[in-house]
Amino acid sequence: MKRLLLTAGLSLALGTAAQATTVHILMENVPDTQFVKDQLPEFKAKTGIDVDIEAISYIDMHSKLVPQLSSPQGSYDAIVVDFYWVAEFTQAGWLMPLDDLIKRDNVDTNVYLPALMNLVGRVNGVTYMLPFYNYSMGIIYRKDLVADPKEQAAFKAKYGIDLKIPTTWDEYQKQVEFFSRDTNGDGKLDFFGTVNQGQRGDCISMQWSNYLYANGGQYHNKDWKATFNSPAGIKAIEDYKTDIAKHGPAGAESYCFDEASNVFGQGKAYSFVTFNILLSGFSDPKSSQVVGKADIAANPGGGLNGGWGWAIPNSSPEKDAAWTFIKWIESKETVKKRALEGGAPTQGWLFDDPEIIAKRPEMPQLKVLVATAQEFPTFTYTVDFVESLGRELNLAVTGQKDAKQALDTAASDFNKLAVKAGLQK
Amino acid sequence: MTVAADRLPSLDRRFGWAMTAPGLLALSLVVLFPLFFAIFTSGFEYTLLHRKYDTFVWLDNYRSIWSEGYLGQSLWVTTTFVVAVVLLEFLIGFTVALMLNAVQRFKDVYYLILLMPLLINPVVVGLIWRMFLHPELGIVNYVLSLLHLGPVNWLGDVRVAFWTVVLVDIWHQVSFMIVLLLAGLASLPREPYEAARMDGASIVQAFFYVTLPLMRPVIVVTLLIRMIFAVKTFDLIFVMTRGGPGTSTDLISYFIYRSAFYGLDLGKASAISVVLLLVVLALTGYLYRYMRSLA
Repeated sequence: MKRLLLTAGLSLALGTAAQATTVHILMENVPDTQFVKDQLPEFKAKTGIDVDIEAISYIDMHSKLVPQLSSPQGSYDAIVVDFYWVAEFTQAGWLMPLDDLIKRDNVDTNVYLPALMNLVGRVNGVTYMLPFYNYSMGIIYRKDLVADPKEQAAFKAKYGIDLKIPTTWDEYQKQVEFFSRDTNGDGKLDFFGTVNQGQRGDCISMQWSNYLYANGGQYHNKDWKATFNSPAGIKAIEDYKTDIAKHGPAGAESYCFDEASNVFGQGKAYSFVTFNILLSGFSDPKSSQVVGKADIAANPGGGLNGGWGWAIPNSSPEKDAAWTFIKWIESKETVKKRALEGGAPTQGWLFDDPEIIAKRPEMPQLKVLVATAQEFPTFTYTVDFVESLGRELNLAVTGQKDAKQALDTAASDFNKLAVKAGLQK
Repeated sequence: MTVAADRLPSLDRRFGWAMTAPGLLALSLVVLFPLFFAIFTSGFEYTLLHRKYDTFVWLDNYRSIWSEGYLGQSLWVTTTFVVAVVLLEFLIGFTVALMLNAVQRFKDVYYLILLMPLLINPVVVGLIWRMFLHPELGIVNYVLSLLHLGPVNWLGDVRVAFWTVVLVDIWHQVSFMIVLLLAGLASLPREPYEAARMDGASIVQAFFYVTLPLMRPVIVVTLLIRMIFAVKTFDLIFVMTRGGPGTSTDLISYFIYRSAFYGLDLGKASAISVVLLLVVLALTGYLYRYMRSLA
């Protein structure tokens, strides 16, 4: 009897040990991560695999990932990769090619929007990631103000054009000027046409990119020579400076997107050039005073394309389980649930799904936004370039450096890095 | 059972070594090893993309530091920051410590209140103050507006941002000064004061001729420790300004961080760290000798 009990106990223990596979994932603390977390019990019930998500803030992610990825056996089985890091991670050989698994399991990667598959999916013909969510940038604006007949009449009287969703940069800048107001007559603006996120580093680099594209500028030509120190680049800086000085809140040159979105969320601004994923936050009555009043439009000239992809590091201890998870979380049924909750989809069909559009009417606009988005230069030293660009832009915007000089310095840094990465001869 | 008297010191010494050996070993593992590793790395072309020690470049990394456009600015900002926070915190800290030393009642309550900021993680301090100092929605500008002042552009104005960071650092770290200086004041002997009073010294005279000379070793140590900590300030800058606006708060620690994790160049980052270490070491050595000369 004793032996029987022992055997039974042992086999039970072994059985549990065999089943207790856990997939460890490092993720950023954003709404889409929460939507993924919400679905984990279902995955566990289906496969018996536990998923442990470590959600941290963006600023800590890169420095936490690199040591794990470069060691022979890391502690993360699956990771999410920001588009910034794609070239760096793939060039260092840290990510596992997924093509064989995709072929073996008949995973259809044609469902993804091509712009996102290029950004956070395929590199030089090899699939390293499945696009997870997009954060392409656009203009979040107050639709109630645009629809207000009084505002429409006043706008028409002042500029001779209709007040509507802006399709050109000039039209948008006119709206920004129009809505910048001193409502209590104390001589200071208290309702802002736009809010900038001008903090040195990636905050200003990302937002300013939209100003650059809108003015017809590009970062580099096909030989990877910097071209953004052009008249378009200078005009983009001038527009950015004017928006901070004349149409925005004090201190916007030190805001990142959280401070800026608070100003918009408190109902103190007409618009905000930013990441599309922030829109869902404005429909939460707990943190927003503009519930039901915010909508999103594509940036004229295209906004900055951004996104994250699921990947399996070569240092992953549980590659099979990680793949099972990625396959499931990107399955049609699961991504639809996430989109219904407010997630930012990457698969094209979700933007046209009637059920989703019924719940999220902004979907067709989002599709245009992602489809017209422009790619930020992604190469091995993107992170370093963003830092240099962010510093120079901030110097120019705070009046410490002439716009042309600042752009020339950033362009020279870009060229050096492009040479270092072997892209420019 | 008696041990010859002349053998005692050597036995004592051996016992001393035996007792300190584990501690010394642990210290050398956690302090000396990374230190030598950094010095070693600074001699190689070692990047996060190419993590191999196969290209020895002698002093190239050290030479390349000086071609970095903004290093001089960063060193200047760091020096000003260290001098500003150490001096201001010392002045405030010493004043408060003198006041607290005279207090008899509720000392524990004051202690608790004063120690509160010190217990908060610097990242949290940075985040809290970023919210407080939000020019539109923050409480600080709101209070100023009630007094018909402001609004102040705390972190966006080039002339203001540096001092904002200094003020937040003072708020966070001044209790450290207070606690150390207060401990020093509490341990001062009473006799010199009584003698001074007998000789008819005023409070001001007693402070300058008795308190200050007696406190000198404690003051030097306190300044030294605070200075070393101030040179290493990173979290506040990272959370509050990212070195901006422009380069006005670009401290050297953040500069090194960028070389390592944005530029991916660990060789160069190690080289800058080694140079910084030498500077701090020289300063520490000087202050230490000065302190010894007082004793």
